[in-house]
Amino acid sequence: MEAVLAENVEILYGSYKAVEGLNFKISEGETLLLLGPNGAGKTTLLRTIAGFHKAYTGRLLVFGKRPEDARELISYVPQSHSMNELVPLKAEEVVSMGIIYKKGFFHFRIPEDAIGRAKEALSFVGLEDIAEKHFSELSGGQKQRVLLARALISSPKLLLLDEPLSSLDPSARAEVAAVLGKIKREKNLTMIITTHDINPLVEIGDRVMLLNKKLIAFGTPQEVLRDEIIKGVYGPLARAINIEDRLYCITGDVHLHIKGEHP
Amino acid sequence: MIPEYLIRAFLASIMISVLLGLLSPLINMKGLAFLTHATFHSLLFGAVLGMILGLVFENLGLVMWAALIITVVVVLTIAELEKKGFTPDAAVGIVASFVAGLTVLGFGILYRVMAEKPYFPFSESIVSYLTGEVFLITLNDLLTLTIGGALIFFLLLLLYRDFLYISFDPDGVESYGGSVRAYLMILYVMVGAIGALIVKTVGLITLQVIAVLPGAIAMMTSRNIRKILGVSLFLTLAVELISLITAYLTDIPPSGIATIMLGAIYGVLLFRR
Repeated sequence: MEAVLAENVEILYGSYKAVEGLNFKISEGETLLLLGPNGAGKTTLLRTIAGFHKAYTGRLLVFGKRPEDARELISYVPQSHSMNELVPLKAEEVVSMGIIYKKGFFHFRIPEDAIGRAKEALSFVGLEDIAEKHFSELSGGQKQRVLLARALISSPKLLLLDEPLSSLDPSARAEVAAVLGKIKREKNLTMIITTHDINPLVEIGDRVMLLNKKLIAFGTPQEVLRDEIIKGVYGPLARAINIEDRLYCITGDVHLHIKGEHP
Repeated sequence: MIPEYLIRAFLASIMISVLLGLLSPLINMKGLAFLTHATFHSLLFGAVLGMILGLVFENLGLVMWAALIITVVVVLTIAELEKKGFTPDAAVGIVASFVAGLTVLGFGILYRVMAEKPYFPFSESIVSYLTGEVFLITLNDLLTLTIGGALIFFLLLLLYRDFLYISFDPDGVESYGGSVRAYLMILYVMVGAIGALIVKTVGLITLQVIAVLPGAIAMMTSRNIRKILGVSLFLTLAVELISLITAYLTDIPPSGIATIMLGAIYGVLLFRR
């Protein structure tokens, strides 16, 4: 069964078509890197697959179900800076959010077993020491990893990550990318990751989708990251170059690279 | 010998402090100050409507219920507009403007009804909804405040973590199976219900200040939720009781004293930063 199947999908805001011409499928366990310039519709597509945005036409299935019916199978990881840090929550409390809503309406206290699982999830992302720290006190990379731990604790089959590397310094990007690699190796989850910077994620991408209000290209990284395709999205200065057996895609101020031959 | 009306005022102040002390940090964290103001303004329209009905049916007990019902209708309308895609600011602005217009209309009708009932024993004053009359609180008022306040207090306590979570990351709550809409509705209705319960005691103007400033001050002093709640509760209680004693001794309206005290504390903290 496909993890995600889209046939003739158009995503709408009222009568405005935000994204159109979506035809693709992702198999279970695959990782899709979703690229495109600002305003291309990456987050809109991600939120539609997550079941938050329901105005679309065509056929969109997540593990054979409509996105809004597949909520239990999906974990959505927003950008860490979209959290309201005025709310003083500890890291373990943030992670527990991923599990407590599976049971009950009132959550006066977080059950002990949920705290235990939150600590395990934090340990998986390499943050066992910061469970008691407040979310607002963490570094950008740590915040993103806490949100990854929160996503993992709910045992999803599909992980949707919205710009997990944005606003991070290079070392924090490497940390988060390493955790994503670990998730791919050890959890075998299907992941869709929107990004402007494919560089740190190159090792885990099975598929790449190039989006600019419509589907421009979809396939393996070698199939999609080609001069003629990239120029169509990022402009005439964009290009792919091969240096020491790695393919680098230069897209204005964003440099994408990938292992393999120059097409 | 302490006068009975002063004891009633003290007891009412304690209940008010507990409710607003708990609610105020949430209003600040969730960014509901504008909604709170709109909600509390709708209490005035509810009170005017309640007085009209109370005079017509010769039962002024209707005032609080009318205020409560109108406020709940207002918050539900705001929530519905937000669901239809209006930004929270726009939704609140539209409804608040409409309610303000209705209030003006209501005053016109109220004065005409009052003119037709010159001999009705009129113990309620619409001005008390603006400035508060804690020393005029009756035993019945106190009983309603205690029972209603206790119910809201326990519900607020039970849902406090959920309210924190929907303030922190509503998409996250929705994504993991929680109903943000249901939690928001309950929170909005609670804001309205707390306002309806205590507006006559502290007054609309002071209510707006006490609902926002203790939480804002508490959040300036700590990043720990327990400490924030502690400071907010203590501050609300202290200000309420001090203003009550000062008012008893000096005849200055307690609501005005409470507002000035909180404003001064906030200003000092802001200056020291």
